[in-house]
Amino acid sequence: MKTKFFIPVVLLIVSLLLMSCGGAAPTPSSSSSGASGEAASSEPIKIGGGFALTGDESALDLPAANGAKLAAKEINAAGGVLDRQVDLIVHDSQYKMDVTAQIAKQFVEQDGVVAVIGFTDTDSVLAAGPTIQTAGLPFITAGATSPKIPTQVGDEMFLACFGDNVQAAAGAEYGFNNFGKNAYLLWDKGVEYTTLLGGYFKDRFTELGGTIVLEDQYDDDATDFSAQIAKIKALPDQPDFYFISAMPYNVGPVIKQFRDAGLTGPIVGGDGYDTPDLLSVAGPAAENVFFTTHALIDSTGGTDGIKKFIADYNKEYGHDPENAFAALGYDTMYLIADAIKRAGSTDAAAIKKAIEETKDYAGITGSISFGDSHIPQKGVTIIAVKDGKFTLGAEVVPEKVPAP
Amino acid sequence: MTLVYYAIQQTVNALSIGSLYALMAVGLAMVFSILRLINFAHGDLMMVAAYLAAFALFANLPLGLAVVLIIIGTVIVGLLMERIAYRPIRGAPDVATLLTSLAVGQILQNGMLLTTRFLGQPIQIAFPTPDVLNGVVAFGSITVPRLNVVSLVIGLIALVSLSFFVTRTVPGLSMRAAAEDLTAAQLMGININRVIALAFAIGSGLAAIAGLLFAVQAGQINPYMGFTPVLKAFIAAVIGGFGSIAGAVVGGFVLGALEVILTALPGIGDILPPGMVSPSTQALLQQWLPSSLTGYRDAFVFAALILMLLFRPNGILGQPNREEMR
Amino acid sequence: MSTLDDRPANPAIGEVRPNKRGGVAALIQSPVAIRLGALLILAIGLSLLHLSGRVFWQGLVINLGIFMILVLSLNLASGFTGVFSLGHIGFMALGAYGSAILTLPLAKKADYLPNLPAWLASIHFDFYLGPFPLGFLLATLLAAGLVAGVALLVGLVLMRLSGHFVAVATLGFLVIVRVILFNADNFTRGSRTFSNVTPYTGLWWVWFWAILTLYVVWRLKYSAYGRAMLAQREDALAAQAVGLAIMPPRLLAFVVSAFFTAVAGSLYAHFITSFSPTVFYFDLTFRVITMLIVGGLGSVSGSVLGTVVIIALAEALRRLEDVTLLYGMSQITLAVIFIVIILFRPNGLLGRREIVLARLFRKGGEPSP
Repeated sequence: MKTKFFIPVVLLIVSLLLMSCGGAAPTPSSSSSGASGEAASSEPIKIGGGFALTGDESALDLPAANGAKLAAKEINAAGGVLDRQVDLIVHDSQYKMDVTAQIAKQFVEQDGVVAVIGFTDTDSVLAAGPTIQTAGLPFITAGATSPKIPTQVGDEMFLACFGDNVQAAAGAEYGFNNFGKNAYLLWDKGVEYTTLLGGYFKDRFTELGGTIVLEDQYDDDATDFSAQIAKIKALPDQPDFYFISAMPYNVGPVIKQFRDAGLTGPIVGGDGYDTPDLLSVAGPAAENVFFTTHALIDSTGGTDGIKKFIADYNKEYGHDPENAFAALGYDTMYLIADAIKRAGSTDAAAIKKAIEETKDYAGITGSISFGDSHIPQKGVTIIAVKDGKFTLGAEVVPEKVPAP
Repeated sequence: MTLVYYAIQQTVNALSIGSLYALMAVGLAMVFSILRLINFAHGDLMMVAAYLAAFALFANLPLGLAVVLIIIGTVIVGLLMERIAYRPIRGAPDVATLLTSLAVGQILQNGMLLTTRFLGQPIQIAFPTPDVLNGVVAFGSITVPRLNVVSLVIGLIALVSLSFFVTRTVPGLSMRAAAEDLTAAQLMGININRVIALAFAIGSGLAAIAGLLFAVQAGQINPYMGFTPVLKAFIAAVIGGFGSIAGAVVGGFVLGALEVILTALPGIGDILPPGMVSPSTQALLQQWLPSSLTGYRDAFVFAALILMLLFRPNGILGQPNREEMR
Repeated sequence: MSTLDDRPANPAIGEVRPNKRGGVAALIQSPVAIRLGALLILAIGLSLLHLSGRVFWQGLVINLGIFMILVLSLNLASGFTGVFSLGHIGFMALGAYGSAILTLPLAKKADYLPNLPAWLASIHFDFYLGPFPLGFLLATLLAAGLVAGVALLVGLVLMRLSGHFVAVATLGFLVIVRVILFNADNFTRGSRTFSNVTPYTGLWWVWFWAILTLYVVWRLKYSAYGRAMLAQREDALAAQAVGLAIMPPRLLAFVVSAFFTAVAGSLYAHFITSFSPTVFYFDLTFRVITMLIVGGLGSVSGSVLGTVVIIALAEALRRLEDVTLLYGMSQITLAVIFIVIILFRPNGLLGRREIVLARLFRKGGEPSP
C-alpha cells in the first residue's frame, strides 16, 4: 500500500520539476551570450524587470512595472535600441524575499539579460542586488530611495531618483524658511522609506536651528490618527508646521483627519504624497499641503512630456498613473535604453560606464545626471496643493544634505 | 487645551475607534460561536464589500440602494465561501479550518487583484466617501468623526437586533442551540446546514457594513486591505470571550481603549502645560514615557491578549475558569 | 482520531526483519545500508548541482532545504504534540537577527549598527578553520541556543493552553517579536533593512542542517519522549492516567523545534544576506504551514514530501504566470490545492504514516508488519 501510494507522488514531483525546467528551456543557451553583447543583431536586447506585482508592495511596484512596460513598448515602436528590439522580461517577486533572490538568478542565468531594473523598496533591492552585482550587470532601482543602497550593494547599483536625504533636506529647508522654527514630526514606524525621511528631516531641521516640538509615530497599517492628533492639540505651544512622513496609502487619511480635527497649519511631506489619491481622498483638506517630489506629474500643469505620458498610460491601462512610481518606472526604462544607445553595445561594462556618464538626461521626472555617486543629482520639486490641484511650488537644490 | 480636555478627547477617540472594532468583531464571533471556526477570510469579505461599495458609488447609485446591493453581494460571497470551502470540511480539526480560512482569504485577495486588472482599475482605489460619512461632529473643541458616530449607532442597532433575534425568534434560538452543541441540535431536528448558512449570512452582512465603514476610514482600498481589520476583530473577539456576541462588542471597545491609551500616554511629558508638574517629574515622564514607546503598542496589546487567554480564557464576560489542558 | 498503531514499526531502533534471501541481497536491503544509500544519492546529486554552477537551481535547492528545516521543526512542535504554533516564524526571525549580528564584519557593524553595546560591537564570528567557516557555525549554534532559551520561557507559559487558544497566543508571540524587532533599532536597524550579511550559506550547509533536523526529529518521534508526545496528543487524560506528564514532552518538542527554526533563520540570513522585520510575518508563516499540512501533520516523511511538492508547484506555477501574465493566479491555485487536500485528504498526503525507505525496496506483495 505504501508503494502504491509512493509511485504517483514521485511521478507528480518529477513531472512538476520537468515542467519548471521546461519553462526555462527556451533560454538557457543564451545565458552566456547575453552579457557579452556578441549576439546576432536581430535578437532583442533583454532587460530584466523585477517587480512585486502581487503582495503588500504591489501598490507601488505595479505602477512602476506598468510605466516601464509602457516605455519599452514606445521604444520598440520607435525602432528599438541599436536597431534591435528591447525585450523587458518581467518576473513577479510576490514580495517574498526568497523568490526575489531567485528571480535575480533567473535574470542572470536563464534569461541572459544585459541589465536589470525594478523594485520600489530597499528590502527587495537588497535581496536581488548581490546576485546581479556578482554577475557584473548594471541594476537600476525604479523607486527605492535609501541613499545607502549603492554602498550596500556595490558599484553596479544605481538609483533612478534622488536619495531620501536630499528630499528631506529640501523639505526641512523649505519648511524652516517659509513656515517657522517649530515643527511637529510624525512618521510611519514600519517602513524604511518613512523612517529615513523622518530621520533626515530631523537631522537637517535641527541643524538649521529649528526645534521639533513633538515627535510621534504610527503603525504602517494605521487608519485612525485621532490619538496622535489629540496630542498635538494638547501641546502648550502649537508648531508652525507639521512634517508627516507617510506612505502613499496613508497620506490621504492622515491629512484629512488632521484637517477635520481643526489643525489647519501647513503640512510638509515627501514623494509618498505624489499620488492623485491625495486629492481624491483628502479633498479640500489637502489645501496648504506641500511636498517634495521629482516633477509635477499633472495632466494640466505638467510639461508636454508628462502630459503625453499620462495620456499614453491612460490609453494603455485604462486609468491615470496611480502615483509617482509609474513615472519613475517609465524613466528608468528610458534611462537604461539611453545608456545602451550611448554605449553602442550590449556589453554590461560598457552600459554601466554609459549610465555613470549620463548627463542632463531629460526624463519626465526631471533632468538626470550621475556624478561620482550612483544616485542621480536631480533638483527637488516642491509641489503646493492649491485649489484642489498640484501646483509648482518651487524647484530647489538643498544647501546641505545630511550624510547617508 | 487643558489636560481635562485632552483626557475627554482621548476617551471619545477610544470610544469611536472601539465602535468600529466592535462592529468588525461581531461578525467574526457570530460564525465562531457556532462552527468554532476562526474565519480569517472575514477581513477579505470586508475587502470585497469595500470594492463593491466603491464600484456602486462610482456608478452614482443612491447611497441607500448602494448599501443594500453591497450587503446582498457580500452575503452571496460569504454563502458561497461557506458552501464551497467550509461545509465540506466541517468537523475537521480546529487548526485545519483556521488554515482553510486563510487559504480562502488568499483566493479572495488574488482574485480581486485579477478582477481589478480586467476591469482596468488601478491597484489602489481612492474610496469615494459618501458625504454622510465625511467630516466631524464638534462639541466645542472636542471632535468626533461622523464615521464613528455612524458606526456606533449601527453597532448598537446591530447588537440590539441581534440579541432580539437570538433570544426571541425560532431561527435565532436554533442558532443558539447549534452554538451550544451542534450534534445535539441536529438530533433535535434542527437543520444545522441552514443555521450555519444563516450565521454566515448575518456575519457577511456585518462584514459588508464594517467593510464600508473601514474603507471610509482607510481612504484607499486595495486587495490586501483585509488583514488589518480582521486582526483587530480577532483580538477584540478573543478579549471579549470568543463566540460571545456581547463579548465581541465589549472586546472591541476594550481594544480601542487599549490602543488609545498606549498612544496617548507615551510622550505625555512633552505636552504637559508648563508649571503643571515639577520639572523633575516632567523630566522623569519624558525619560520613561517617551513618545517612541508608542511603537510598542501592538506588543502590549498582544501581551494583554496572552494574559487574557491564560487567566480568563472565556473573555471578560466569561467565567474566569482556566482552560484545562487537553 | 486515529490510533497509535497505524504507524510503522520503528526502523530507527534497527530491528531485524526476517529475510529469507540472505547474502548481498540482505545487505543492500538492510535499513542502515538503504539509509546510507539515500544519503549517498543525495550527496552525489548535491555534488553534481554544485559542480554545474547553475546558481538558480542551487538557490532553489537551498530554499528547499531551508523550508524543509522549517517544516520539520514546526511538525515537531505542532504535529507531534497537537499544540499548534502560529508563532514559529518569530523564532526564525530571532535566529536570523541573532546570528547575523554575530557574523557581521566589524566595519559594517560600525557603519550600520553604530549604537550596539560595546561588547557586542567588538564581537565578530568570522574566523575560519582552514576553508571551514567555523564562526558561522558557532554564530548559528549560539543564536539557536539563545532562541531555544526564549522558547523555553515562552513555552512554559504558552504550552499550558491548547487548541485555538495556543494558536492565538503563539500568533501573539509572532506579533510581539515583530514589534520588538521594529523598535530595537540599536540591534536590528528597526524597519531599515539589515544588509551585507556574509553569504556563508551554501548547498552543503543547508543540507547538512536539513539532514540533521530530519534525523533528530525522526529519532525523537520514536524515542520514549516522542511516544509521550504522541500519547498526550491523542488523549491527555489517558496519558496522565498512565503516569505520563504532559508538560515535559510538549516543552521538549517546542524547544527543540525552536532551536532548528532559529537555525533555519540563520541559514536564511546568510543566504539572502538582507532582511527586515517585514519578512518574518504572516506570509512566511502561511507558506510553511501549507507545506506542513499538505505533507501531513505528524508525519516526518510527510514534511519532506510536502515541502518538495509545494516548492516544486510554486516554482512551476510562477513560471506559468510569466507566460499567462495572470499574476496572482499561482497563489490562487496553491490556495485551491491546499483546500482540496484538506477536503479529500484531511490529514495531508501522508496522514500520520511514514514512507519507510526500506519498504520501497521490497516487493509490493509482502505483508506489512
